[in-house]
Amino acid sequence: MSPIISASGVGKTFRQLKRQSGFGGAIRSLFSRDYSEIRAVDGVSFAIEPGEAVDYLGPNGAGKSTMIKMITGILTPSAGSLSVLGREPHANRMVNAREIGVVFGQRSQLWWDLPVRDSYDLNRHIYDIPEARFADNLAFLTAMLDMAPYLDRPVRQLSLGQRMRAEIALALLHDPKILFLDEPTIGLDVVAKDAVRRFLSEVNKQRGTTIILTTHDLVDIEEICPRLIMVDDGKLLFDGELKRLRATLGSRRRLILEFATDPGPLALATATLAADEGATKHFLLENETVSLLDVLGELGRGHGLKDVKLEEPDIEEVIRTFYQNKPKLAAAL
Amino acid sequence: MKLSAYPAFTATAFTSRLAYRNQVWSGVFGELVATFAFIAVWTAAFVGRGTVDGVTLPDMVTYVLIAGPLLNWNTTRYIREVGDAIRTGDVTTFLLKPLHYPALLFFNQLGNNAFEQLTITLPVAIIVAFTVGLLPPASLAHGLLFVAYWVVSWGIMFLIATLTAMLAFWLLTAFALDWFLRGIMAVASGAIVPLWFMPAPLAAVLGYLPFAWVSYYPSAVYLGKLDLPAAGLHLAIGCVWLAALAGVLTWLWSRMRHRLIVQGG
Repeated sequence: MSPIISASGVGKTFRQLKRQSGFGGAIRSLFSRDYSEIRAVDGVSFAIEPGEAVDYLGPNGAGKSTMIKMITGILTPSAGSLSVLGREPHANRMVNAREIGVVFGQRSQLWWDLPVRDSYDLNRHIYDIPEARFADNLAFLTAMLDMAPYLDRPVRQLSLGQRMRAEIALALLHDPKILFLDEPTIGLDVVAKDAVRRFLSEVNKQRGTTIILTTHDLVDIEEICPRLIMVDDGKLLFDGELKRLRATLGSRRRLILEFATDPGPLALATATLAADEGATKHFLLENETVSLLDVLGELGRGHGLKDVKLEEPDIEEVIRTFYQNKPKLAAAL
Repeated sequence: MKLSAYPAFTATAFTSRLAYRNQVWSGVFGELVATFAFIAVWTAAFVGRGTVDGVTLPDMVTYVLIAGPLLNWNTTRYIREVGDAIRTGDVTTFLLKPLHYPALLFFNQLGNNAFEQLTITLPVAIIVAFTVGLLPPASLAHGLLFVAYWVVSWGIMFLIATLTAMLAFWLLTAFALDWFLRGIMAVASGAIVPLWFMPAPLAAVLGYLPFAWVSYYPSAVYLGKLDLPAAGLHLAIGCVWLAALAGVLTWLWSRMRHRLIVQGG
């Protein structure tokens, strides 16, 4: 199968006007304009197969949304080549638009003053969805996202969770082959987040819709996307499964030691101190083979140890370590 | 998307406006006050005189209503919405759909404007007709020509407003642009004072600018102040302006899209 999205050496450079500060600077800039070049995306390559669910992850300003805008055809790459469903997206914006669905967590595409159903009806016209297909999809989405109680309510009366479900349904009515979601769970409560995640995972598995997610919510990643593409400073840092990322980084388990009173500074060969809260100290175990007994043995008696807790590394830890060790890892991967 | 699907935006915009019924009441009230204020001014100007330059007071009362609320519709809301969408980058959500954005704006505003004409201008016209009195078109032919002028007037007004809103992309303040446009429209379109009462040199200049096709020419044709050949000729000139402005909008939009595409929202 050929990839549904393939990027090869894609780059995007913006020319940004250098603004000079102050009144004098403003006057000077009327006559001479200095531009600086900003590389938002720098030589990024990847291929996404149909039916995959991928998280495009990176800190703010890493070039995520620029990449998504290029894939959706509203930005032109300034280097490399990009193909979505076998087409250059920016040259075929209208055709491309029919095959994709986009959800912005922070930007509504529903008509604020109208019942949810009216926005759906408008999309039926925009995408020329055949009547029967529209009815089927609407019934499916209404049932799956539990939208029946508020389908006829104006959007402005909906809770954030209801609105987000309505936005996702809107993006799926025309059976897009690729669904882009920009922080779809931002601001939602636990129950609503869970509902959205379960639904997206379902759509991906049952309908085979390719999902590209940008999210900072790490639970989203664990539950929806097996594959991670991590970027920073416009460059690709990691592309692969979360499991591989964990394995590559080594699972640094966290050991929490609680003492009756502050034992003072403690140095161990088998673990490094990660956080010191006085009577409670957090250590990171050096490697897989170090056991709890090794550490306790090294620690010895007489410190007034009250409690011991050993935690498996969570994904946040994994990703934090990743970004902190970026230069080292870039060479290793 | 097929062209036949765009009217769905007109219907959606129209129903969307029904959500705020109080706006209708305040709109009708404001428009009534403004209309009667202008009628009072013209009544005072015509005291002791049956006609001024061949124009009667009933002519002017009818002119006030047609040139003002009917043709020189309020663009504030429209310019602010489009300007904001462009400035904040919300316009990209439209670029993600298989849509032509200016066409979407056209059909959308058609719905908004139809709503305002039906809920605000029509009641005001009925009240004026039953209290002060309104004149029918000068003749059947003038009436039919007026309908064609109305279409041209709406098109020109839409294009001028859209161009103004798009300038917000470069100038970043739709608010100031809206004030600027309203000032120009008040004078140059003849919405308040018809060109025939203006000093000849000024009227000559304004008579060639597109603004005059928004209010002045359609109202003058309705009242029979232009004979049929002159009305036909000016309709043709109006169509040329319409095409020229549509051309400018197409060019500006493609430049803007290019800049959005190349530079990012």
